[in-house]
Amino acid sequence: MAKMGMVFDLKACIGCNACVVACKQENSLPDGVFFTRTLSYEHGTYPNTRRTYIPTICNQCEDAPCEKVCPSGATFTREDGIVMVDRDKCIGCSSCAVACPYDMRTMLDKDMFEKGLFGTGELTPFEKQGYERFTPGTSVKCDFCSQRVDAGLDPACVSTCPTNARIFGDLDDPNSAPSKLIRDRDGRQPLPEKGTKPKVYYVD
Amino acid sequence: MTNTGNNRLVGNSFKLGYRFQRYWDTSMAIAFFSAEVGTGLFLVSYFCNYVLGMALGLALTATLKPYFHLAHMGVPQKSWRAILRPDRSWISRGAFAVAVLVGFGVLHVIDRATGLGAALGLSQGVIDLVGYLAVAGALVVMCYQGLAMSHSESLTLWASPLLPVSSFCYALTAGALLTLVVGWGALEPRRLAGLVNLAVLMLILDTLVVFGILLSARRKSKGGAFSAEMLLQGEYSSPFRNLVLLLGLAAPVVLMALGAGSYPMVILATLAMLVGFFAFRVLLFKAAVFEPITHDLAGSIGLPSAR
Repeated sequence: MAKMGMVFDLKACIGCNACVVACKQENSLPDGVFFTRTLSYEHGTYPNTRRTYIPTICNQCEDAPCEKVCPSGATFTREDGIVMVDRDKCIGCSSCAVACPYDMRTMLDKDMFEKGLFGTGELTPFEKQGYERFTPGTSVKCDFCSQRVDAGLDPACVSTCPTNARIFGDLDDPNSAPSKLIRDRDGRQPLPEKGTKPKVYYVD
Repeated sequence: MTNTGNNRLVGNSFKLGYRFQRYWDTSMAIAFFSAEVGTGLFLVSYFCNYVLGMALGLALTATLKPYFHLAHMGVPQKSWRAILRPDRSWISRGAFAVAVLVGFGVLHVIDRATGLGAALGLSQGVIDLVGYLAVAGALVVMCYQGLAMSHSESLTLWASPLLPVSSFCYALTAGALLTLVVGWGALEPRRLAGLVNLAVLMLILDTLVVFGILLSARRKSKGGAFSAEMLLQGEYSSPFRNLVLLLGLAAPVVLMALGAGSYPMVILATLAMLVGFFAFRVLLFKAAVFEPITHDLAGSIGLPSAR
């Protein structure tokens, strides 16, 4: 059985946020909703200062706390390890949002869909067709663009990344690109002490 | 290396730092608060055999708690999906405990008010059992919200075994004080004096538990220390000090010590405690933060522990 995961190459990421834009476009995300973010961090002492970019995304945890606490069974893990949300079952209790140590859940407000991306109160044709996939009041998250994965494609953020800082593949396959990177460059998971077994790794 | 940027509170920005818990808000705080106050009132009134107090406690728990829980949900019309899953749902198990409390509690109140059990020819053992089941439900509800919060490892401020203890202690304090207010004149003076002593003892325990929560958060992780700092010195220090500590815990003790025999003093002490208790509930939600995925990027970009 596959175990889909992702590796972020922190040396390659230039913080261009193309991944963020691609994700918003692919998933028709309303204003204020991001499934992926590229966080920045300044450190050092003048004149030796640096800015590092840290991409973040739902970690598709093997032991997903959001799935464990979901009272309605709306959050579930697919056979390939991708953690999904069934919007028809979600009751919007936000237990998952509180349980996720990475703050990677978003609750959809009704307002988000009414004001539109341009804040004019009018929706563009792109927004109208895209918003049909959402139910206001429910919880949403990244699902590695499962619709693209099902079609044999990489997630939109991976396809778009101009520096190949995002590497996607099957972590159960020792010959896959992400498995090799994790092995060769000592891949590390975010907040491992939380015990969630993320399927997203960072290499530097 | 020195950090040259502000990596502390980053809100919804694209910077690395602490992010506030913003998913559980005032609706949830009111739901938790009303359940604990109502259940505390029921439990203390049960042991005082005071029917009006029990009825009021049940009414508070059975109305405000479900209403504000539903108000919090994004899709309340589908809440039945969560209520019918006791195997995996905190909401379901909590609803079950409330149903036990309210169901058996109402039967107990009716029996005490009308003598229905004896009229129906039920044995004293059965009549007592109904009361014990209501008390068991009350004990679960009193601790349950704190237990649910302590289960969330993502927010260090909440992930403490002292959270259910705080729920229980605050509920019992509110119960003792409200029973004093409601039952003033109806309960025997000996009973009232006992309730005053119980309230003062619980207020002292509440204080210890509140500081215990902050202390355990400080030790557990950097995010927990940050939350404790926000409550003691930072953004929320003013409401925490003035409402939770001074008004909610110290003032009632002083008022009870100065004038426990005076009804207005007891009312004032109760109001002060309830305001402080509600502030504590709200601030626990507001000051909880998610850890950044890494705290220290000096040198090589590792992902070191948050501890």
